[in-house]
Amino acid sequence: MKNIDPRRARWMKFRMGVLCGLLSTGLCSIVASAYNIQVKHGAEWRMIAERQRQKRLKVLPTRGSILDRNGEALAITIDVPSIAINAAELVRNVPEKQQPALQDAAAAKLATALNLPFPEVQAKLKSKRRFAWLKRRLSQDEITAVRAMIDPRKPDAVKGVMIEGEGHRFYPGREALWGLVGYVSGDGSGIDGVERAFDEDLRGRPDEISALRDRKGTVLFGDGLEDERALAGDDVHLTVDLGLQFQVQEDLEAGLRAFEAKSGSAIVIDPNTGEILAMASAPVYNPNDYGDAPIEARRNHAIADRVEPGSTMKIFTIAAALAEGKIKPTEEIYCENGSWTIGGVTIHDTHHEGMLAPASIISKSSNICAAKIGLLLGEQGLYSAFKRFGFGETTGLGLPGEAAGVLRARGRPWYEVEVASASFGQGISVTTLQLGMAMSAIANGGKLMEPRLVRTVTGATGQLVREELPTVRREVVPAFAARMVTEMMTGVVEEGGTGREAHIPGYRVAGKTATAQKADPATGKYDPDKFVASFVGFVPAQKPRFVIAVVVDEPWIAHLGGQVAAPIFRRIAMRALARFGVAPSGEVAKTAVTFPLEDPTPLVYAEAKAMAPDVDLTGPGGSVVAPMTAPSAFAPLPASSPSALPGAQRVIVPDLGGMGARDAAHALVSIGLLPVFDGTGSVTRQEPAPGTLLLQGSAVRVRLSPGS
Amino acid sequence: MSSRVALPSRARDNIDWPLLIVVALIAVVGVVNLYSATSVARAGISDLYVTQIYWLVAGGIAATVVASIDYRHFERLAYLIYGAGIVLLLLVFILGRDIHGASRWIDIGGKDRGFRFQPSEFMKIILAVSLAKYLHDDPKLPTGPGGGGRGIKDLIGPAIIAGIPFALVAKQPDLGTGLILLGIFVSIISLAKIRWQSLASLALTFAVAAPLIWNYALHDYQKKRFISFINPELDIRGANWHAHHARVAIGDGGLWGAGYMKGTQNHYLFIPEQQTDFPFPVFAEEWGFVGCVVLVCLYAFLVIWGIRIAASARDRFGAVLAIGVTAMIFWHAFFNIGMVTGVLPVVGVTLPLFSYGGSSVTTILIGIGLLMNVSMRRNVVG
Repeated sequence: MKNIDPRRARWMKFRMGVLCGLLSTGLCSIVASAYNIQVKHGAEWRMIAERQRQKRLKVLPTRGSILDRNGEALAITIDVPSIAINAAELVRNVPEKQQPALQDAAAAKLATALNLPFPEVQAKLKSKRRFAWLKRRLSQDEITAVRAMIDPRKPDAVKGVMIEGEGHRFYPGREALWGLVGYVSGDGSGIDGVERAFDEDLRGRPDEISALRDRKGTVLFGDGLEDERALAGDDVHLTVDLGLQFQVQEDLEAGLRAFEAKSGSAIVIDPNTGEILAMASAPVYNPNDYGDAPIEARRNHAIADRVEPGSTMKIFTIAAALAEGKIKPTEEIYCENGSWTIGGVTIHDTHHEGMLAPASIISKSSNICAAKIGLLLGEQGLYSAFKRFGFGETTGLGLPGEAAGVLRARGRPWYEVEVASASFGQGISVTTLQLGMAMSAIANGGKLMEPRLVRTVTGATGQLVREELPTVRREVVPAFAARMVTEMMTGVVEEGGTGREAHIPGYRVAGKTATAQKADPATGKYDPDKFVASFVGFVPAQKPRFVIAVVVDEPWIAHLGGQVAAPIFRRIAMRALARFGVAPSGEVAKTAVTFPLEDPTPLVYAEAKAMAPDVDLTGPGGSVVAPMTAPSAFAPLPASSPSALPGAQRVIVPDLGGMGARDAAHALVSIGLLPVFDGTGSVTRQEPAPGTLLLQGSAVRVRLSPGS
Repeated sequence: MSSRVALPSRARDNIDWPLLIVVALIAVVGVVNLYSATSVARAGISDLYVTQIYWLVAGGIAATVVASIDYRHFERLAYLIYGAGIVLLLLVFILGRDIHGASRWIDIGGKDRGFRFQPSEFMKIILAVSLAKYLHDDPKLPTGPGGGGRGIKDLIGPAIIAGIPFALVAKQPDLGTGLILLGIFVSIISLAKIRWQSLASLALTFAVAAPLIWNYALHDYQKKRFISFINPELDIRGANWHAHHARVAIGDGGLWGAGYMKGTQNHYLFIPEQQTDFPFPVFAEEWGFVGCVVLVCLYAFLVIWGIRIAASARDRFGAVLAIGVTAMIFWHAFFNIGMVTGVLPVVGVTLPLFSYGGSSVTTILIGIGLLMNVSMRRNVVG
């Protein structure tokens, strides 16, 4: 200040110096506290920051999918949004006086949008809790209404509302798969079927990683973790073929309806690997609404029901006797002309026979001769033979609810009469699956396989986690015994056999009918009106590809296994042969498998027809060409196939790249090739490659993928 | 040297380069920091730094205009300007916009297309100008050490000048601006020699008034903040939530910082109001203690330079005005950094040239313009 006197100016400067010092002290205190926070206690604060970014992280991994052998989804998890409220955030920065009005207004809006009672919503908003579910599994309309309500661009947007994606399990296969796939509970843990058996794989690993999150709880994967898939559960690839499963289920249900049966089950097994290709059970429920189904209806009859096997057991009795050398394949046994008393009990035969060779014992299904063979084995011999075939214990399938069946019903060795009756399947109980697995041992030359339901378990990014390989449980009988019994069983479906209905033109079928009376649980005596009809067999007999076990519980219209179960077996067998392209020789996909018009595979035919309506799919002699799929379990399609149709010519495989299914089908069918589709969408791969020369009638595998 | 005719050219020759450079440095660092603070995509404010540059340019033009008019014109018009400021503050209550439960803004040119303007910001400058004018005109000049000095009666005038805007701002309610006004008032009065007896009686008055203010004048949220300041561990999630998160971010920076654009606490949205009240934690997390020291040194230089300008001012009006403006900048920086480092309770005070906001930036730059004005004319006589 130039224009005031020097003394005052000095005084002023002194004061300013003091002020300067004071202000500097203030700034220094700030620097000191910054030092305190950043340098002295920096590590502690950094830990708090770390924790803040990571703690309270509630990441629910996406449950893995269950897929069939071709990658079709059987159970998938889709995100269904749910709404939660942070009641503290709702009123943050709002003066206390205005809070009740704001809460009421927000509660009214939310209650209207979500169709909830107003007091319930109001109570949650007033609670000031930082997290409360308002409603789970919102409909599209509800979510749209809520999104509009919380739009931050609006001045009156409701704050604190959180939309969370919750995984909801969905079963595209619905009824067809219910018993096999099972279902999950509301909190996402497996309750039944594969969902339960492979819960560990499917569930994912919520604890194994820590993820970063922001203040709003959004998970932000930063270092070391590319995406959420690392958390997700593994995918379980089943051995089941979804298409075949649908057909088996359809055929089983049709059969149950036709014979007015109470329940039933059917299994298709690859006897060489023990793979379960289809497992049907009826009646059904929809696993998408499992809560609506009564507990009793949620039984997988194929594994949970213990039934009296009846005559099918004769196969295993005779196989064991042949293996032990107790009988010779040509040796004739006296069948007592239909009536034989042992231990005070008289055994009857339907057909009154004198001397019968083992082949005829099987085809005529003589109880008396089977009993005599059983007695030759003795109590210990027969019991251990049945044990070795896998009866009386669970198969190792791993699904929950599997019954073991009972051999020695009274817990002591059989009396002589019990040995006799057990020889033809009375007084013991088994499951459909056990019958199928035991029959597989006959079909594959004597090896009892472990039933295989899962081929591989893969991570969400596609890496292989685990592969389940075919496992031989034990050698049950030597191969020669199995072959001999197989030959004998082919007589069952021939003229004069009990299983004529299971005959498939052009193919050799081995099988056995069974009709068992059911015991009344009240009296313990056999009910004259209640039966279990079954047919267990395999095809083609000389090189078995499919073991099929069909068990029908309490059919009303007819009751014999040959009448009730054999036709179902035939339909299922034909579907399987066509679908997998198995020729009568047992070779795969050498030719298109055709069946007479009267019994085509309607579903596949309808699909093919829909894709190429103007192409005649009727082959020579009125047969229908059934498109088939050849999954990788069997040999891949050969590059060139012998002629399927008389007068077939070689044609060039067109380039199908990028075509839709309809166009691709048309392009192939119009020049006489058979499309075999896999997936949906447009063509991304084809086999054989474009330009390959193929005989007309050959199949071309086409891989379809969506969105390309 | 004796002629006023030569003044314009001489004033231009006296441009205060250190002041200009330090202000430019702070502004550039501020924009760079704002870019990082608002770059969090999900926050939806990623282009705020562009707007901030516009405001800096606008404020720079305003500062140039303010610096080129001889401040003695402001001295003449001081009370008129003061009256206009008070009217604007009153208008807030009629036209004001309610944000977070307080009306502080006036919308100009429509709610969406125009801009908001906060009269209380400009009131800080106006208060400095008015107090300078009052003390300049005060006939009872103190007469050096030992003799004279101002008594309580002499402070009634300045107290009324400061009290009216303070009351209006407190009513909005805007505790932060109120504190800044108080800071400006106290800083200026501390240089206007007061008898120590007067100081003692003032302290007594405050002791009596404080409980009354606590019970009747403060809003609940303000009380909560104060309590949470006294006992910060009491309620981390409640009133002290902001301060806690700010401190976590600062601590996360450590000595050297996480590096520019790498502040995780900011980028994961843990820092609240990172563009307005809490730009410092963003800076501290990314640049560490070293960066903080540099930044505080820049503000310290600005403050010391402002006092130097006051000390060398041509007249009393210029000196008090410079002190007022410097005090405003100091208290802003002190309160803002103080509250985020936990030295002070949380009050809504911006960090000069760091915080986003048109009114804030232009106010600070107009203040710098006034400082420049006083500095350029320090050697002008008459």
